Amino acid sequence: MIDEDKLEILVEGAKYDVSCSSSGSRRANVKGGIGNGSGSGICHSFTPDGRCISLLKLLMSNECIYDCEYCPNRRSADVRRARLTPDEVCELVINFYKRNYIEGLFLSSAVFDSPDKTMELLYETVLKLRKVYSFNGYIHLKGIPHADSAIVMKAARLADRMSYNIELPSEQSLKLLAPQKTKQSLLLPMKGLNEAIEYDKQNKVRHGKVLPAGQTTQMIIGASPESDGQILRLTEALYNNMKLKRVYYSSYVPVVQSNKLPTVGAGLLREHRLYQADWLIRFYGFNVSEICEEGENLSPEYDPKCAWALRHMQLFPVEINTAPLEMLLRVPGIGAKSAYRITEARRFCALDFDNLAKMRIVLKRAKHFITCKGKFYGSDSYSQIKCALLLASGGANEQLSMFSETSTAVSALTGEL
Amino acid sequence: MKIFVTDGTAAAFFSAVFDAYREKECIITSDSRVQLAFDSEIVRITSNREKNERVQNAASKCDRHAVDDVILTLRSGDPSKEQTAFEYLKKLLEIKSPISKMLSLPQVIEFNETARKVTGEVHMLKGLLRFMESREGVLYAPYSPDNDITDLLMPHFAERFKSERFVIHDVKRKLAGMYDGHEWLTGYAGEAEVYLSEYEQAFKNLWKKYYNSVNIKERPHIKQMKGYMPVRYWKFLPEKNGN
Repeated sequence: MIDEDKLEILVEGAKYDVSCSSSGSRRANVKGGIGNGSGSGICHSFTPDGRCISLLKLLMSNECIYDCEYCPNRRSADVRRARLTPDEVCELVINFYKRNYIEGLFLSSAVFDSPDKTMELLYETVLKLRKVYSFNGYIHLKGIPHADSAIVMKAARLADRMSYNIELPSEQSLKLLAPQKTKQSLLLPMKGLNEAIEYDKQNKVRHGKVLPAGQTTQMIIGASPESDGQILRLTEALYNNMKLKRVYYSSYVPVVQSNKLPTVGAGLLREHRLYQADWLIRFYGFNVSEICEEGENLSPEYDPKCAWALRHMQLFPVEINTAPLEMLLRVPGIGAKSAYRITEARRFCALDFDNLAKMRIVLKRAKHFITCKGKFYGSDSYSQIKCALLLASGGANEQLSMFSETSTAVSALTGEL
Repeated sequence: MKIFVTDGTAAAFFSAVFDAYREKECIITSDSRVQLAFDSEIVRITSNREKNERVQNAASKCDRHAVDDVILTLRSGDPSKEQTAFEYLKKLLEIKSPISKMLSLPQVIEFNETARKVTGEVHMLKGLLRFMESREGVLYAPYSPDNDITDLLMPHFAERFKSERFVIHDVKRKLAGMYDGHEWLTGYAGEAEVYLSEYEQAFKNLWKKYYNSVNIKERPHIKQMKGYMPVRYWKFLPEKNGN
């Protein structure tokens, strides 16, 4: 059994990785085995910072051969080091899983010895977990850049999800801040994995699919000069070309002194707005070009949907009883669930304002953009609407309080891979 | 006004619906502490197979999912669940076709909301249930859910822990689901005495260490944590109850 100090060191190194979802895989249990995948994902606990614990997030090791300036685990940093054996990881996973503490494993590592050696040990661990311990729960594996693609592919046949972190939103920034990671060392394996996933899909492979929960990535926002427009275009390209399931953002916080890094953090509002825009792209049928021009940033005052609606007032108000679903989804304040409820309910009778309120549809913002049976309940001047929306987004500020002052927050930088 | 009091079972509820259907104004409840108005008359209902079947058949004719939906809603811990289900059935029998998607009807809103709370708690407890390992290697999870959901949780864990033996114990309702490695059943269970395996405390401690290490202390957001993981569930969480 591993000791608590070792666990602490290796969790400390992995905890800033944003991804903790366990959804998207329905891996079945086998006879005599333990665990299965739950399509919707399951959260097992919540920490006092408001984040969920779904997976056991661990580094295999925090001993690194690289010396990246921004990374807390860089070779020259004076930190406690530890390394786990595959059996130690497996034992911990099985015992946590049996007690229903976790939904699976998130395994990452610093690069020790060589990228191939590191990737090999990750693979060995996953193989042992699947074959020896007969574990069928969720496994999220980090890809190690520059590792041999054959090992990566073997690992992908056993994991549910893999991710290569893009880290920085452009090639120049990557060169400047993380020179050991090249664009090619990140995009090539991503592309290879995507081809394997697509192959399985086209050939209707049902058992032993490569990465049933797909790939994700993560990038740091604000450590380099890219605009939100550029970042979102990159995001959209990753969704379209690499078929990623998620792109995670983590806002930059200065911890390491370096003349290559900005001295001020990016602020968490920016991260929040990027996530909002990301959802509009994935679930609301928006194109990036509608949300943000290439060189521009998202508006800090309004969420991206509100900002879009304010630029397109000629399209509003829409009649709630006749507007197509695509248009309902574009009304500020109406989300996917509300839009669904409206389209279902209106098949049976015309809805008025009272009905909407009773159906628990939030009208604070939406009322300025809709009519119910031809009646309008919002403000009639553009400036009044702008003002009301600004007030309505007061709630958003409150939500953002989860992030304390950026100056006190520790590194959200993902030094580990 | 008549108040129909059932024993809390679905069968008694359907029988009560049969008797209550013709009343102009009445209440169905299983709560024996119901507030009485001065003109109220209490009618105790025991399940009657014929009435039960007639109501279920009538409802199924209108909507083949209706009976299952009602049984799900009756698992709720809300004292007015029977009334909510009764109003829903009355509306269904009036309209004579599926109403579950008529999302602007107050009866449907209320009914769906009650059912959603049950399924929502099932989903939450798939994550928040905590097992401990006994000396004999049986996994034991005590909990006290708001709704009666033990048999809804059993299939999930029976699939997941196929070759384990485990017990999920609803200590509030004195009800336990048991799985022996092959099949599961539920039954009465008062108090359980469990002798823990020698490794139990060590893994509990590792888990607490993990919980505390993975937290980012500099970004506290207690309100959000409590929103997702209400305090009433903490009693059985090793990372929260200090055991």
